[in-house]
Amino acid sequence: MARRIWFVLSVLVAALMVAAACTPVPEAPAQPAASAAPQTVTLTWAFWGSPEEAASHKMVADAFMKAHPTIKIETWNEPWSDYFTKIQALWASNDPKAVPDIAFLWPTPKYAAEGVLENLDPYIQKSGYNLDDYWGGLLESARYKGSVYGLPRDIEVNVLYYNKDLFDKAGVKYPDETWTWDDLLAAAQKLTVKDASGKVTQYALAMEGGKYSKWVNQNGGAILDDYVNPSKCLLATPNSIAAVQFFADMMNKGYAMRDADLSQAGGDQAVFQSGQAAMIIQNTSRVSSFNAAKINYDVAVVPIPKGGKRWNPAGGAAWVMSAKSDNKDAAWTFLSWLQSKDGGQRLYTERGEIFPALKSVAESPVFMTNQPPANKKGIVDEAAASGVGGFGYFPEWGELDSSIISPAMQKIWAGEADPAQALPELCKRVDQFLKDKGYPKK
Amino acid sequence: MASGGLYTALLLGSLIMLAPFVVMLIVSLWPNQAFLTRRFPLDQITLANYVETFRVIPFGRYFLNSSIVTVTVTVFQILISSLAAFAFARLRFWGRDSLFMLYLATLMIPAQVTLIPNFLIIRTLGWYDSYQALIVPALFSALSTFLLRQYYRTIPLDLDEAARMDGASSLRIWWQIIVPLSRPVMAALAVFTFQGTWNDFLWPLVVTGSEQMRTIPIGLSYFVGQYSTTWNLLMAGSVIALLPVLLIYVFAQKTFVQGITLTGMGGR
Amino acid sequence: MSQLSARAATRRNPFRWRPDQQWEAYLFILPSLIGFLVFVFIALVASLGISFMDWGLTGPRGVAGLDNYRELLRDPVFATTFRNTAFYIVTIVPLQLVLGLSMALALNQAIRGRDVFRVIYFLPVVTTIVAGAIVFRLLLGRNGPLADLFTALSSWLGAPFSFPDLLGSTRYSKWSVVLLTLWKNTGFTMVVYLAALQGVPKELYDAAHVDGATAWQRLRHVILPLISPTTFFLFLLQTIGAFQLFTEPFVMTRGGPAQSSMPVVHYIYDNAFLFTRMGKASAIAWFLFIFIFGFTLLQNIWQRRWVYYETE
Repeated sequence: MARRIWFVLSVLVAALMVAAACTPVPEAPAQPAASAAPQTVTLTWAFWGSPEEAASHKMVADAFMKAHPTIKIETWNEPWSDYFTKIQALWASNDPKAVPDIAFLWPTPKYAAEGVLENLDPYIQKSGYNLDDYWGGLLESARYKGSVYGLPRDIEVNVLYYNKDLFDKAGVKYPDETWTWDDLLAAAQKLTVKDASGKVTQYALAMEGGKYSKWVNQNGGAILDDYVNPSKCLLATPNSIAAVQFFADMMNKGYAMRDADLSQAGGDQAVFQSGQAAMIIQNTSRVSSFNAAKINYDVAVVPIPKGGKRWNPAGGAAWVMSAKSDNKDAAWTFLSWLQSKDGGQRLYTERGEIFPALKSVAESPVFMTNQPPANKKGIVDEAAASGVGGFGYFPEWGELDSSIISPAMQKIWAGEADPAQALPELCKRVDQFLKDKGYPKK
Repeated sequence: MASGGLYTALLLGSLIMLAPFVVMLIVSLWPNQAFLTRRFPLDQITLANYVETFRVIPFGRYFLNSSIVTVTVTVFQILISSLAAFAFARLRFWGRDSLFMLYLATLMIPAQVTLIPNFLIIRTLGWYDSYQALIVPALFSALSTFLLRQYYRTIPLDLDEAARMDGASSLRIWWQIIVPLSRPVMAALAVFTFQGTWNDFLWPLVVTGSEQMRTIPIGLSYFVGQYSTTWNLLMAGSVIALLPVLLIYVFAQKTFVQGITLTGMGGR
Repeated sequence: MSQLSARAATRRNPFRWRPDQQWEAYLFILPSLIGFLVFVFIALVASLGISFMDWGLTGPRGVAGLDNYRELLRDPVFATTFRNTAFYIVTIVPLQLVLGLSMALALNQAIRGRDVFRVIYFLPVVTTIVAGAIVFRLLLGRNGPLADLFTALSSWLGAPFSFPDLLGSTRYSKWSVVLLTLWKNTGFTMVVYLAALQGVPKELYDAAHVDGATAWQRLRHVILPLISPTTFFLFLLQTIGAFQLFTEPFVMTRGGPAQSSMPVVHYIYDNAFLFTRMGKASAIAWFLFIFIFGFTLLQNIWQRRWVYYETE
C-alpha cells in the first residue's frame, strides 16, 4: 500500500518538476555581475513602439551610455496596444526590481494620483533644469497637484497635410495660413470624387474623430470649464455645437471620411499614402513615412473659422521616474539628458521621429532641415498656438472620456445623432459624473 | 444520392468559411499598397512580407516559445486532468461529488476575474517572465477533467474489479486499462488544448516581460500600431501562426472526430 | 454463503464505500486540486475581497463596502454592456445550434467530398482569433471587398440596396460580432453533433422509414429527442461562452461605435486596466459570475423537461 502511494507521489512530483523546471529561462537578461564593475548602476527604461521606433530608442540609449559610462541602460518595450496593461501589472506587483526606473507614459496625472511616480520638483530645483523652454501649456499635461511628475518628450502638433498632386489634378490652390473653414469646405467640394454608384473613391479629408477638440477650441468652444478641477461640461454651448456640427457635416456630405471607415481602412497614414484622402489632419509623426514613400506633399496650419483662433492641444507622452526606482539620482541624470537640447531631444528630432517639446530644439537647424515638408514654419506656428483644452488633467479623465464622451461623439461621427440634441444630453451625463467623483474639489 | 440543392448549399457554405483565409493569403502576398488600392497585379506577387515578418520581430524565438509552452501544457494538462477524472469517476471518497460540483462551477468564472490575483501569485512565486508562469497555471482545466470523467464513467467497472482481484493497484488500473481505452478522447482533447494554448493572448501578455519570453499572438499584435495597421505583415504573421495548428488538425482529423464521439459530448 | 451474496451485492453497487480508496483518491486529485486551490479558489476569494474595496493600481485606497455594487445599478454603461451581452446570447446560441445541426445532418450522409467539407467547416475553429477578427474587420468594412461585391451585385440587379454599415453603425455592429462568432465556432457545434448522430442507431431511421414518416417527422420525433443530451451540453457550453465573449469584439470593433458592440467582459477589462478601478471591475465580474451561475442552475432544472436520457 505504502509503496503504491509513494509511487504515485513520485510520478506527480516528477511531472510537476518537469513542467516547472525542464524549461529554464533561456538567455534571460544576465543579472549584472556585481564584481565586474562595482560603480555601474543599471536603469531599466520602458517605452512602447513599433520595432522601428524601438530601434531609435536603443540608439538613444547607446549615445547616453557612451557619454555616461557608469550608467547602464536596459530597455523594456511592448507594442502600444499592450504597454499600459503590462506596465500597470508591473507596478501592481510592488517589486522594485521589476518596475522600470524611467518610463514613457500617458496620461501622467492619472499615474501620479496612484502614487507610483516620483515628484520631479526637488530634482528640477537642485539641478536648475530649465522649464521655460517647453511649449505653452505642455507641462500642464505632466503636472499633478501643481508639481511636475514627468517631462513631455514631444508635443502633438496637428497640422494639415495635403497631397499636392491631387490638389493640382482638381485645380485647387494649396492651403495657406489665410484659409478659413469656408475655404476648406470649398476645396473639399472639388477634392471629393465619387464613382457612378455614388460611392466616394477619394475623400477630401481624413481626420480621427478623437481630434474634434481642435475645431471646438478654434471656434471659441470648450469641453470643460476647467481642465484640472472641472465643475461642468461646456460642449453644449453654441460655439461648441457649431464646431462639432461643422465636422459632422463634412462627414455627412461625404467630404470627410467617417471615423469608423477611417479606422477600418488602416488609419490616416494608409489612406493618405494610397491617395484615398487628399488631406489629413495629424501630428508630425507621419513625416518620416511620407518622406520614405516619396509622396508629393506639404503641410499647412489648420484652417480656422472666421473670427476664430488658432489652437493646438498641448499634450505629449512624458518620461517619468518611478517612485520605486532604486537609483533615483542616476535616473534623473538620464531623464534630464533625454530632455536636453544636445541630448535625447536632438537625437529624436534628427531622426524625424518627433516634434520636440523644447522650443530651442524646434528653432535650431536640427529641425529646420531641407527635408520635406517644406513649410516648417507652419508647424512651428501651430505649435506656438498650443494650449490646454484637448483633455482633462485630472485622474478620472480617462474614464470620463472613454466611457462617456467618446461614445457620444462616435454616434455623431457615425451620422446617427444630431449635435444640437446629443451634446446637451452628453453634458448632463458629464456633469453627473463630475458630481459623483466629487468635482469641483476644494 | 445528394441533391443538387444540397451541394450548392454546401459549396456556398465552404466559400463563406474559406473566404477569410483567401483574403488573408492574398493580402499577405502583395505589398501593403496593393491592398490599400485594391489592385493586385500578378507581377507584384511576393514572399517579401514573410521574410520581413521574420526580420522585423524575432518570430523564430516566439515560435519556439509557443511550441514549448503549448506542447508541455497539452501533455501535462491531459495527464493531470486524467488522474483527477479517474478519481472522480471510478474511486469513492469523502466529498467527491461536492468537490466535483465545485470544479464545474469554475467553468463559469470569466478569466478576467482572476487575472490580477493570479498575476500577484505568479510574482510571489518568483515565476514572472518564465516558462513556469506561462505553463503551470494552464495545467489545470476543469473542462478537460469534466469531459474525461464523463467518458471514464462509461467504461464498465467490472474491468477495475477484475484487475483489483488480480492485485493491480489503482495507478496500474489507470495507466494500463483506462488510459489506453481513452486514447481517442485524449486525442480530441489534445487538439482543443493545443489550439487554445497556442492562441492564448491575455495571460502571456501579462506574465512575460522580456522579448525572449513572448509568444506568437503577442508578436502578431506588434503589427497593430498606434495609428496604423500594417495589413500585409499582419496577414503574413497570421498565416505563419495558423500553420502548425492547421497541420495538426488535418493530420489528426479522423482520431479527433472519433474521440469526440466517445466523450460525453457525443450524447451519452 | 453470506460472503458470496455480499460480493454479488457489491457488484450491483459499484460505488460502494471503500476505505482504502480514500487515500489513493486524494492522491489522484492532488495535483489538480493544488492548481485549483491556488489559481482559482484563492484568486476568486481575493477578487471578491477586492470588489468591496476601492482598489487602485498598487493596492487598496480604502474600503468601499457595497459602493462598487451600488454604482453598477445606476451606471448606464454597465446597463448597455449587459444588454449587449444578452443580445449575443439570444442570437449566437440558437443560430449556432441550428446551423451546426444543419451542417452535421448534411454531412452525416454518404455524399461525395464529405471529409473535405468537414475539414473546411472546422478550419475556423483552429484559427487564431486575433487574425480572424482582423480579417473580418477588413472584410466587413463599408469600403471592404464585401461591400464592393454587394454594390456590384445590386447595380447589376438594378436594385437600389445599399450595403449596411456593419462595423460603423450602432445598429449593425453587434451583428458583425455575431457573424464572426458564428464563423469561428459553428464548426465546433457541427463536429459535436456529427459525433452524436453517429450514436443514433440505424434501425431507428429504418423503422421510421418503413412507417412512412417524412424526413421532417423523422428529425422531429426520432433524431432530435435522441441527441437532446448533446443539444443540452452544447447549449450550456455556448451560453457560458457567450457570457464570456470578449476577444472577438475587442479586436474587431473595440466595442464601438459608441459601446454598441461592447460586451460586459470588455467593460471589466476597461475598468481594471484603463481606469485602474480594480474594485469596480471585480464587482462587475462577480455580478456576472453570479448571473451565469444562477442561469446554469436554472438550466439544470429545466433540462429534465426536454432532455431525453436513454439509460436513465
